[in-house]
Amino acid sequence: MKEKNTIGMQIAGFFKWIGADLKDIGTTFAGGDFRTRISYIIMGFGQLLRGQWVRGLSMLACEAGLLYFIFGFGMQYLKDFGTLGTSGRGFNPDGTVSYGDNSFFILLYSLLSIFAILALILLWRINLYQNKEAQHLLAMGKRLPSNGQDLHSLLDHNFDKTLLALPCLGIFVFTVLPIFFMICVAFTNYDYNHQPPSQLFTWVGLENFRNLFSTGGEGYGSTFFTVLTWTLVWSFFATFLNYFLGMAVAILINQKGIKFKKLWRTILVMTIAVPQFVSLLYVGKMFAADGLVNSYLIKWGLISRAIPFWTNPLYSRILIIVINLWVGIPYIMLIATGLLMNIPEDLYESAKIDGANAFQMFFSITLPYMLFVTGPFLLTQFIGNLNNFNVIFLLTQGKPQSMNLKGGAGYTDLLVTWLYKMTVNDTNYKTAAVIGIMVFIVTAVISLVVYNVLPSVKDEEGFQ
Amino acid sequence: MKKRIVSIMMTGILAAALLAGCGGSKPAEQPAEQPAGETAEQPAETEAVDYGSGEIKIWVAENVVDFTKSQCDAFFAANPDMAGYTVTVEPVGEGDAAGNVITDVEGGADIYGFAQDQLARLVSAGALTPVTGDEQTLISGWNDEASVNAATVGGTLYAYPLTSDNGYFLYYDKSVVTDPTSLDAIVADCEAAGKGFYMEINSGWYQTAFFFATGAELTYETDDAGNFTKANVSYASEQGVAALKAMINLHKSPAFNNGSSVSNAANCAAIVDGTWDSGAAKDLFGENYACAKLPSFTVDGKDYQMSGFGGFKLMGVKPQTDAGKLQVCKALAQYLSSEEVQVARYEAAGWGPSNKNAQQNEKVLADEALTALGEQLQFTIPQGQYPGDYWALATSLGDSVISGDYDNADDAALMAALQDFQTTCEGYAQ
Amino acid sequence: MTHKKRVGLTISYIVLILISIIWLFPFFCLVLQSFRSYQSEFGGMVNYLVPKHFSLDSYKFLFSEGCQFTRWYANTFIIACFVSVLQTLVIIFVSYALSRMRFAGRRLLMNIWLVLGMFPGFLTMICLYFLLKQLGLTQGGAVPGLILIYVASSGMGYYVCKGYFDTMPKALDEAARIDGATRFQILYQMIIPLSKPIIIYTMLVSFMAPWCDFVFASYVAFGKSDSYNVAVALQRWVWTNDYQGYFTRFCAGGILVAVPVTLLFMFLQKYYVEGVTGGAVKG
Repeated sequence: MKEKNTIGMQIAGFFKWIGADLKDIGTTFAGGDFRTRISYIIMGFGQLLRGQWVRGLSMLACEAGLLYFIFGFGMQYLKDFGTLGTSGRGFNPDGTVSYGDNSFFILLYSLLSIFAILALILLWRINLYQNKEAQHLLAMGKRLPSNGQDLHSLLDHNFDKTLLALPCLGIFVFTVLPIFFMICVAFTNYDYNHQPPSQLFTWVGLENFRNLFSTGGEGYGSTFFTVLTWTLVWSFFATFLNYFLGMAVAILINQKGIKFKKLWRTILVMTIAVPQFVSLLYVGKMFAADGLVNSYLIKWGLISRAIPFWTNPLYSRILIIVINLWVGIPYIMLIATGLLMNIPEDLYESAKIDGANAFQMFFSITLPYMLFVTGPFLLTQFIGNLNNFNVIFLLTQGKPQSMNLKGGAGYTDLLVTWLYKMTVNDTNYKTAAVIGIMVFIVTAVISLVVYNVLPSVKDEEGFQ
Repeated sequence: MKKRIVSIMMTGILAAALLAGCGGSKPAEQPAEQPAGETAEQPAETEAVDYGSGEIKIWVAENVVDFTKSQCDAFFAANPDMAGYTVTVEPVGEGDAAGNVITDVEGGADIYGFAQDQLARLVSAGALTPVTGDEQTLISGWNDEASVNAATVGGTLYAYPLTSDNGYFLYYDKSVVTDPTSLDAIVADCEAAGKGFYMEINSGWYQTAFFFATGAELTYETDDAGNFTKANVSYASEQGVAALKAMINLHKSPAFNNGSSVSNAANCAAIVDGTWDSGAAKDLFGENYACAKLPSFTVDGKDYQMSGFGGFKLMGVKPQTDAGKLQVCKALAQYLSSEEVQVARYEAAGWGPSNKNAQQNEKVLADEALTALGEQLQFTIPQGQYPGDYWALATSLGDSVISGDYDNADDAALMAALQDFQTTCEGYAQ
Repeated sequence: MTHKKRVGLTISYIVLILISIIWLFPFFCLVLQSFRSYQSEFGGMVNYLVPKHFSLDSYKFLFSEGCQFTRWYANTFIIACFVSVLQTLVIIFVSYALSRMRFAGRRLLMNIWLVLGMFPGFLTMICLYFLLKQLGLTQGGAVPGLILIYVASSGMGYYVCKGYFDTMPKALDEAARIDGATRFQILYQMIIPLSKPIIIYTMLVSFMAPWCDFVFASYVAFGKSDSYNVAVALQRWVWTNDYQGYFTRFCAGGILVAVPVTLLFMFLQKYYVEGVTGGAVKG
């Protein structure tokens, strides 16, 4: 209930803020001089007339650029946003092709145009605010910040804006825009039968989601839940087995009396250094039915026929987790080594005096300390493993498939490798998009739950 | 507080610049006028036609890249009026080529080689220019009927046949396999020698060797646009069950390995594979190299000769917006699939021709692997069009067999699995 | 030393030696395979470990006229260098802004980035491909295109570096500001010189990543073999049936990729350990 209240209050607060903002726009206009009022249409006008040409020109340039983009370019796509295109491809009598509407670009550029419109509104609002402030300062008889000061502040007070401008732009274009695009695709029929430029795709509402969850007929329901379950099981084992065994190896090497500590660590660390597409591809082949491992086991008479490592669903799942130990233990070992040294020696000494043995010390001192310190790290590891594409794909590509699973999914497929296969092999973008959204939901839910349960989510200011 | 605004504006300018950058490439996307009903005049056939200039991108398999380059040079030397075009040949295997072209038709190669199983997908993705009119008659006359059918969707020819050798047969090690005509004997020999028999039974392509042998059926009908309209499937039948049983029996042998790539077969005495691997197979088996048609197998006391697909490699031309370039591409594709070039390609890379005259070439007739394939082709059906989903489904069926799902299944359970398979197959046709 | 302790140590040593063998065995095999003679034993996969004849056939092939291995290697190296430098700059900028400065929307920005990070990267592949294509950065332009893609979203990977900056006392900044230094000067003259370990760590990690990307790189190169990176080119030798007998060549290529990267890693291992440990503690 409490949750609901705060969300309700937030929404109410949002509308209050909107109201206040609209009122401010009105009063700024009413109380504004002609420079301010013209700035309502020509952005930067007031700033220019007041001598702040850096601000004025940039505002003007932005307005011109965005308006040009929206009306000169975006509109032709935006007008088709509702249908995603109507005219298809055709062949001319001389054999050449004429492409019609391209649903892909209609959707992409419509989104871009919508973002451009939002950006324009935001800049317009900032422009009004600048005018109001300038007018206010002048009325008080103060000086406006000079152009030089404006520019200099970009390296000082406003250095954060300078630093973040490019990274934010990059993230907007190459992360935010594509994600919005793919979320939209989840509500269309963009697949191999509706592929631009030759064919159009269009909105289909929630059909793809229904299809993913329905268990009968063509639905992916049972397959989806099988893959989801394995994804969670895999993540669990890949995270915690690696964690405990990695810690064990670290403790083993850290023991007093063990020599060549650095050598042992260096040997283990090889798996981090060698690119995975080399090492994992090779290791995968080693366990093939006719691979090295089986051949030698047969040669030595230990088994009479090859162990179906990669073709039996259960074996392949177990083997993947085991090989992942080979990849993951060194990483945890490195981290644990550093942290173990931070545990005060006298804790162990006093425990020893109390007569505790090694195991008791581990469970009462080492483990609680490690879990406390690395709690959030375990969460990121878990989420990383949910999306651990390389290990799965390089080893099995999700195989073995089965008549019990649809959509080309196999028993070792994670949601993310299934998504990849949907995209690359089947160009079934609509279903891939839905699966992607599901991955997001799973990740978000787990993160939220864990963050609320974990005690050691730290106040970041506390460290400084 | 106020000064922050300036930098937000800077961000805005950058954004605007980027947006404008995207805008630059716009004109190409201008919706074209609908050509329907329009009757543009054909360019008059005059002495000097201006074909324009530009770049033609070709994707072929790695082992014929150099060959294709030299043939293109020969083509432009013979047709100087088309020499305004430069050709780049990239090694992109048949599977990748089709996949890439389907992902982005406009970015794909202008001319590309592919195996026919991709044809329907390519047509429905709009990645092929139809071969019509006189050209259709010409190409149909050149090549054997089955290869022309394989390049046809609905009633329209969409590609230029390159080879008729996309079938499979048996490569084996003479010193191990004594009787290559019986699957049971081959498997027994392999088991005795501790060697492997390789067949990729989790591929929809190799699997049909069993199903078609017992008389089960699986074909599709398509309309002109590459949509599947009807499925003729009889896997859920006694014949289907017999074939599935044969696969299960094979999988139970310790000698069985799933695979069809000579170089990935680590312990190989016999392998079901195609002509493209003949060089590798010779290297692998050395002087014990031998090949033969596929063996027969026995289920419940009945013998069946293995069947399968006889497939074809095709060359396609991507739809073009420029009439001059289209003509050059078509002429070049025609040339690359002509009799002389097919013979030359056989000599360079061992690809068996689809051209009727080229097939009668002495050297082609004398080829060991092609002879084995030729014998096998009598028992196969020419491969038609299959939906992409079929191949994934067949892999699932094969994987189920290999993982032992059906090891102890009775006939009724096998029938149920095949019924499921058949229903799904029928579902792919609208 | 007590008897019990000595037994314990002996067991520990045995376990460590076993672990070392398991960990090194695949690399050992890889090296052996790469030296197998192509002439006498073909280049496919085999089921025995020690080649019957050793030779440099596979390495010779990689550097032969017909093979573009050096080109692919150079592509990857160029990408790795640019990404290493640019990504590190971006991460330092973002970390500095988020760690040392307080501005409106900071929390919001960090939360948005956190949420964005929960979407799987492969989801947007097709969209990124067409975005890059609009900019002309696919196929022939795949190398700069990949650099752009890797660098563009790297701002979201600020966690480790920001965690490091957070541990530096803020009093340093304040003292410098009283002396009249601008924020830019503080970053340039104070923070960066103090952050050598984390900078090396960031550079190392971002240098190593491009060597392994075979998914997006193959999408962007789109069948243009001049633009492949080593991972894209080599994985085809194992997975595509067009390449018969390329397995030993794959091993040789893999060794040539792995050796320099591994050496670099070993050389800078100290910084790597510092980085991951710090990252793990901060989460």
